[in-house]
Amino acid sequence: MTSSPSPSRKALSKIACNRLQKELSEWQVNPPTGFKHKVTDNLQKWIIEVTGAPGTLYANETYNLQVEFPQHYPMESPQVIFVPPAPLHPHIYSNGHICLDILYDSWSPAMTVSSVCISILSMLSSSPEKQRPTDNDRYVKNCKNGRSPKETRWWFHDDKV
Amino acid sequence: MMNASDNKFSQERIERSRCEELAKSSSFYRKVYSEIEEIGWEPLRRLGGDLTFFSFHILDKKGRAHILEIQLNRDYPNSPPSLSADVPYMFTLEWSINSRLKDVMHQFQKHLDNLQEFWSVLDDIDKSFSVVDAKQPSRASSLRRIHAGNDCIIIVHINFNDPKSLPECRFIGHVPPSTMHMNSLHMLWRRNSKKWSKEKSFPENLECILGIELPKPPGLLQMEDDQQQVECGICYAQFLPTDEELGARSGTRTDYTCENISCNKSFHSLCLTDWLRSITTTRQSFDVLFGNCPYCSDPVAVKINNK
Repeated sequence: MTSSPSPSRKALSKIACNRLQKELSEWQVNPPTGFKHKVTDNLQKWIIEVTGAPGTLYANETYNLQVEFPQHYPMESPQVIFVPPAPLHPHIYSNGHICLDILYDSWSPAMTVSSVCISILSMLSSSPEKQRPTDNDRYVKNCKNGRSPKETRWWFHDDKV
Repeated sequence: MMNASDNKFSQERIERSRCEELAKSSSFYRKVYSEIEEIGWEPLRRLGGDLTFFSFHILDKKGRAHILEIQLNRDYPNSPPSLSADVPYMFTLEWSINSRLKDVMHQFQKHLDNLQEFWSVLDDIDKSFSVVDAKQPSRASSLRRIHAGNDCIIIVHINFNDPKSLPECRFIGHVPPSTMHMNSLHMLWRRNSKKWSKEKSFPENLECILGIELPKPPGLLQMEDDQQQVECGICYAQFLPTDEELGARSGTRTDYTCENISCNKSFHSLCLTDWLRSITTTRQSFDVLFGNCPYCSDPVAVKINNK
């Protein structure tokens, strides 16, 4: 499976466009450590390369995050997934979906792409073992046809990892 | 008691003198009228009913507005008009029997030109420092009272003939801590006033000589504050975009600030209501949304603006 296309993706509103341009230029001045924004001319879909933090299970491994923005960003959260192959992690499914509350219910417009990236890296860094979520196969099967993780009803039960 | 014929007689006399007056006046009126017309009616601000008093609104080269008040004698133009204006000193009017009001205007304009540098220095002071009674300083005044902190005030007197030269300067403080501050400023002034340079601006010179940063005008602080604060915490813009969907709210500034003083984030109420409406924990009562600040989570209450 590749990235999940959102079938009803609408162009960014003016407000979303302005805000993303500011976030992007702030990123260029002050990028979060361990992340590299891969330059494209698409403001609505960012590909970000993440390198596992030194001294953690993912040290020196690189993965790609795909961040897609809804029309009314930042009123709605961005859709953030790992482009497969996704890192082996108890909260990351093999299709790249990430079980992390701030990407869904706990999103707030006070967050930014940069702060989301830092949360994801911290989630990776605090992992005690490299393994898939226990319900990985069932979940991935149910996500056929490139369903967005934002349509999943997530349970956030483990705040240790 | 007056009888009928007396009455008639005195009435005739009044009539006759009024006719004479009118004849005299009418040539006076015609002259003044035509001379104002030469200048143009647009700058005319006030006009006395008998055309002996009027004022003109004049812009100088830097766009500062000035009012020139002109008083005419009945024997005008034999005697020159008397002038008053918001200038530190009045020029000597060159006047002959053939002079006209437009000559007054020309000479006044030239006088304004000569004073440009003087006013630029004063404007620079008003812009850079916290000035006592700064609201409406008269253009005629060459004094400025500048707050120097610690209840101390510096009074500067700008020389209108040489506005960039070292000004006369006095230091005023009344109670002990301010008198100490005042004495040290005065000492620095005397010791360093040789450093005054016509190349530098007045504020630069003053701060350089005193070696301190003087308080800024409250308006400027407000402006700097605005510049830091006006970005909306949600859309990151100072002004909403111009958009058909936004209608009358296109281009508006942030108009809501989180009341938590340690947060103090500003928002467009439109952005904040859009956000609050998109989450399920928000409650609405009449036209007010109750929710939490996206930054500090303190309660916020925003009025919905349906325009």
